[in-house]
Amino acid sequence: MRWKKLGKIFDPVEHQIPNNCVEFSQAPQSLVLQDRVRIYYSTREKDASGKYLSHVAYVDFSRDMKDIIGTSQHTVIPLGKLGCFDEHGIFPFNVLKDGDRVLAYTTGCNRKSSVPVDAAIGLAISHDEGQTFSRIGLGGPIVAATLHEPFLVADAFVQRYGDTFYMWYIYGTKWLKFADSGQHERVYKIAQATSPDGLHWNRDGKHIIESKLDENECQALPTVIFHAGKYHMYFCYREAHGFRKESGRGYRLGYAYSLDLIHWVRDDANAGIDLSDEGWDSEMQCYPHLFECDGKIYLIYNGNEFGRRGFGLAVLEN
Amino acid sequence: MFHWKKLGRIFDPQCMASPAWMHEFAQSPATIITPHTVRVFFCTRPAPSADGKYQSHIAYLDLDRKNLLNVLNISAIPVLELGKVGTFDEHGTYPVSVISHQNEIRAYYAGISRCESVPFNATIGLAVSQDGGESFHRLGEGPVLPYTPDEPFLLGSPRIRRFEGQWQLWYVAGKEWRITENSKKEPIYKIRMATSTDGIQWNKVGRDLIPNKLGEHECQACPDVIYRDGKYHMFFSYRDIYNYTSREGGYRIGYASSPDMETWTRNDDLIDIPLSNEGWDSEMINYPHVFELDGSIYMLYQGNGMGRSGFGLAVLDKQSIWS
Repeated sequence: MRWKKLGKIFDPVEHQIPNNCVEFSQAPQSLVLQDRVRIYYSTREKDASGKYLSHVAYVDFSRDMKDIIGTSQHTVIPLGKLGCFDEHGIFPFNVLKDGDRVLAYTTGCNRKSSVPVDAAIGLAISHDEGQTFSRIGLGGPIVAATLHEPFLVADAFVQRYGDTFYMWYIYGTKWLKFADSGQHERVYKIAQATSPDGLHWNRDGKHIIESKLDENECQALPTVIFHAGKYHMYFCYREAHGFRKESGRGYRLGYAYSLDLIHWVRDDANAGIDLSDEGWDSEMQCYPHLFECDGKIYLIYNGNEFGRRGFGLAVLEN
Repeated sequence: MFHWKKLGRIFDPQCMASPAWMHEFAQSPATIITPHTVRVFFCTRPAPSADGKYQSHIAYLDLDRKNLLNVLNISAIPVLELGKVGTFDEHGTYPVSVISHQNEIRAYYAGISRCESVPFNATIGLAVSQDGGESFHRLGEGPVLPYTPDEPFLLGSPRIRRFEGQWQLWYVAGKEWRITENSKKEPIYKIRMATSTDGIQWNKVGRDLIPNKLGEHECQACPDVIYRDGKYHMFFSYRDIYNYTSREGGYRIGYASSPDMETWTRNDDLIDIPLSNEGWDSEMINYPHVFELDGSIYMLYQGNGMGRSGFGLAVLDKQSIWS
């Protein structure tokens, strides 16, 4: 894979964002519409206690991804109700066209007492081309913790191949305590589920991507595209602690491919993209998302500081 | 009518000098019948932490099958450790329901974890014992019954049964957290059911089974089901969302029956077990567990303060009519 970096294309501080959000535009996710490419992201509000709430917003680009032609000035989806899995934030927000509807696979988070958060995956539906979304049911999740996936079920990315919906996602395997960190740190791995309808999912909990750092490698936000006879996956991975400040321990992009959607071969050496020598993605690259528009394959992702100052774009070279 | 004759309190953890983890509360009794004993599993608590928070552990005691008021033995340690940090059951395992199956005992329990915006959340876990209930191990670190779109939080009060070769789980599901006048957060929850061929993969029926008596804010719990005379009989608990720690608002025992486990007819008037004039069950009688033993039908139940001072036993009058 060879990528040509097109640079940072959106900085949240240069725009008016609803819900009192001022920084962060994380985990960009695409919805290709007739006259535009809508990029959803998660941005942050500080609540009364000084902790963050993640809200969903979007920015519309021209189909050649060169111009910003609009930004959401309304609430795309409200946060979850009191006590619900997504009460303290939605991040990421993965969208999939389904006829006249747009499905959103949300990762909702809620704060806990012994560990900072838990998470699960929900489903919300839009009937207005993705401007607003409503949750299904009473607001519970569609993919939540189970016997062997005990917590932090998150980062859904859904695609349909043939009659089957595929979900790549992560789940937590342990909470660890390290000397250099005041709070418990999580470990999570990438898994895969299938569904006939996008609602009921079959999971086997297998870790489909081999760890490269050590057994506590954290793997996040898988994204998959079919191209030239192969399924290509990008994701981000990092060390389990020291990843916020120490260089070399933060998120980088990983790569894997599959011929059959069952077996995945990790092949970071052929990712074709790495940290820049300087600038917005020189210390960290994270939250990748692949999409195709007008014959081009794009990789949109966050850079330094987990996307505090926006996201950038790369295009696949032949 | 179901006329229950009270036989008295069986167990009061507050009378015990030790152990510290069994300081007070003996809740949600559930039985395994053996040749000479009735092993009663229950949930108990150490003294609360400095900030008033409780943990809850599963324990057992053995009753003499010939004289159920005679306690033979009490477990020395909790039969199941609390869950690891960040798991659904790290702060408590309560309530519990047990069943014998192929030389094992399975315990279905609600795991409690503390949250920031609401006091806690719960969902249902599964642990198995191969030594007659002395010790249990989890089948996994996560819950056996997951949250779903219509059951977003607070899955609790499990009651496990096998009828007609199928596993049946009655439980409650939270619908809403309400903020009361004194700014407390209080949940509303209703009785639901799931079925399974293996007790592990569950199909939720997905609707509230029991009509409300106190209004839509009624809280329902502990749906204990027994089959008798061609019908399924459910004894459960219900209360108002507010003032439930008092005699007036506290949990009472409700009753419903069903020909097929799906459609239930509620008729609380058929239950005849009044509060005592004084003593340990003068304010509350709830969390019933009904079981048959040697030709009699018994009910274990917890008393005042949600079982703070233990549970007791009643026997069904033989003249009671089941159909």
